[in-house]
Amino acid sequence: MNTYTYKKDFEYLSRASKVIPAGIYGHQGPAEGCHIPIEAFPKYCDHAKGAYFWDVDGNRFIDYMNAYGPNILGYCDEDVNAAAKAQIDIADVTTQPSYKMVELAELMVDTVKMADWAFFAKNGGDVTTFAILTARAATGRKKIVMIEGYYHGVHQWTQREDAPWVLKGEVENNIIIKWNDVEAFKKVIEENKDDIACFISTPYMHGNFVDNVLPAEGYWQGIRKLCTDNGIVLIIDDVRAGWRLDIAGSDHYYGFESDLLCLCKGIANGYNVSCLCGKDFLKPVASSISYTGSYWMSAVPFAAGIACINKMKKLGGGAKHLEIGRKICSGLAKAAKENGVNLSISGEPSLFYLLIKDDNSLVIHQEWIAEMVKRGVFVTSHHNHFTNLSITDEDINYTCEVADEAFKVVTARHPEVYRK
Amino acid sequence: MKDQNAMAYVNMFAVLKDMEILCGLDEEAKKLASPAKPVAISFNVGNGPQATLSFANGKCTMKEGLDGNIKLKLGSNEAFNLMVDGKKNPTPYGGFSKLKFLTNDFTKLTDLMNKYLRADEKSLNDRAFYEKSTTMMFYLVANALSAIGNHDELGKLSASKIPDGSIAMEINGGPCAEIFVKNGHMTTYNRKAENPRAYMIFADFDTARGLFDGSSEAMTALASGKLIMKGFIPMIDNLNRVLGRAGVYLA
Repeated sequence: MNTYTYKKDFEYLSRASKVIPAGIYGHQGPAEGCHIPIEAFPKYCDHAKGAYFWDVDGNRFIDYMNAYGPNILGYCDEDVNAAAKAQIDIADVTTQPSYKMVELAELMVDTVKMADWAFFAKNGGDVTTFAILTARAATGRKKIVMIEGYYHGVHQWTQREDAPWVLKGEVENNIIIKWNDVEAFKKVIEENKDDIACFISTPYMHGNFVDNVLPAEGYWQGIRKLCTDNGIVLIIDDVRAGWRLDIAGSDHYYGFESDLLCLCKGIANGYNVSCLCGKDFLKPVASSISYTGSYWMSAVPFAAGIACINKMKKLGGGAKHLEIGRKICSGLAKAAKENGVNLSISGEPSLFYLLIKDDNSLVIHQEWIAEMVKRGVFVTSHHNHFTNLSITDEDINYTCEVADEAFKVVTARHPEVYRK
Repeated sequence: MKDQNAMAYVNMFAVLKDMEILCGLDEEAKKLASPAKPVAISFNVGNGPQATLSFANGKCTMKEGLDGNIKLKLGSNEAFNLMVDGKKNPTPYGGFSKLKFLTNDFTKLTDLMNKYLRADEKSLNDRAFYEKSTTMMFYLVANALSAIGNHDELGKLSASKIPDGSIAMEINGGPCAEIFVKNGHMTTYNRKAENPRAYMIFADFDTARGLFDGSSEAMTALASGKLIMKGFIPMIDNLNRVLGRAGVYLA
């Protein structure tokens, strides 16, 4: 197989570095540890369609990151784009919001099992933050219980005190416990009697640099009961996993009901909208909080969201994502085994997490990922991956061929580890 | 905020320790570090670090402890920090026969240190000097990281999050340091890491200097491949937090 080069990508990056901090900031950029080594990864997209995107050098990639989640049906989906384009000619950002907002809210309430209401914003962090504000306002308490390795966006309350832009007071009410540990939650409740506003967690542990871990049997039911018994608001951050397990919500998928559910990626196939779904008892409080943004009520994403949700339901929703994910995971596992590589695949199949465990520095893993990318399969060094509903069996077969060749490259490069 | 105890550890185990590098790089320093008989200066800092700088055969070495033949007493971390800034004189309490070295040769050595660490633009036009100066800055920073990670409050929080193992810190084709972390305690060795778990590599002297003196952005250097990080990234992510604190102490 030929490997890609990125001449124009780097020309753009060079231009960008003069006018944009870091060239590309955040997790999609080369400075956040997801693209190692940076020279193996494309930097800028030219166009995208279905399961693929093309970079500015014309290289085609089967995309398993899917814009870090939002591309849930496939890029430039005809039905979603048609709805969005139609709405552009009707109204988008207007003095009073479009009635499309009401239609999408009704659809969210019909679709998401726990939802009695829906509040729209733009990004995942907007709604995780709104969930925290709602919980604090509803309980009159200040402390937040979170899980070790959490990611709930980048707002101040999600950071650590040793970040130079964070004040101690912004994070001093965070309590961190381990995943799957109901007893630890019980203990912090006892130690912080009547001072815990909420428990916030992703539906399963999909952190980076470690195998992802599913909820133990009875875990969520135990957490739910402790929250209910102690007046603690249970918040599920479903921004990443949302709808790739179950369109009714990941809490529903795992057999419990949250009080607040944060959704974003997946709602509108890339059109910018996020949503906090909530239970009735929190609606008066949510109504009382002054929280909004200039573009939060734009109608185009609402129209796109309606089209996306309806199409997701028609195509099989989370179950279809899981089916595609299982095929990918099975093919990658087979290729790894045939090459004598200890590839760990963890988490839910539609959000599979990859980790080669043959050296403790992860350098071999990083090299394998890089060889995949250079052959047109876009995966990242340290993040869970995402399925979309445009991935075909042919794409999966090609992915596994690339994985096989990439395994052969790195095993030959590291005879000290893969000595026959 | 700068903590005086952490500052004293930076001054002892990063600034004064850089004398080792100076004597390896600069011919005049080598001569000054060649007294007729070995000389060792102990710095006894009240409620702070204690270490001895030894000079013999053109070399300088630093060890923890107070077994020098010149002993200097500094009543507090603050007093020691003022001494390193040249604003306070220490009180000798032993080794009076060697005081000439302290007042003459050691003073010249500290002046040479300043020449490299606070280099003027004209001197930096000489490429050989530039690389020596950057090498000294490199080891200053590498050693300051451990001092800050072990003694500064926020630095300790960051260090506590660094998984165990060695981090290779290098300028490509230039100086190398190993930062070893065990249970959140950091130790810097002025040597190439043999079995690192993570890597922080500056592509060249210019990149390293630009990042040390603040004229370049770390994120842009990472994005352009001038600063290479690989391996177990949580080690680097948290080391970068400590590095962020270094600006407070080395400004």
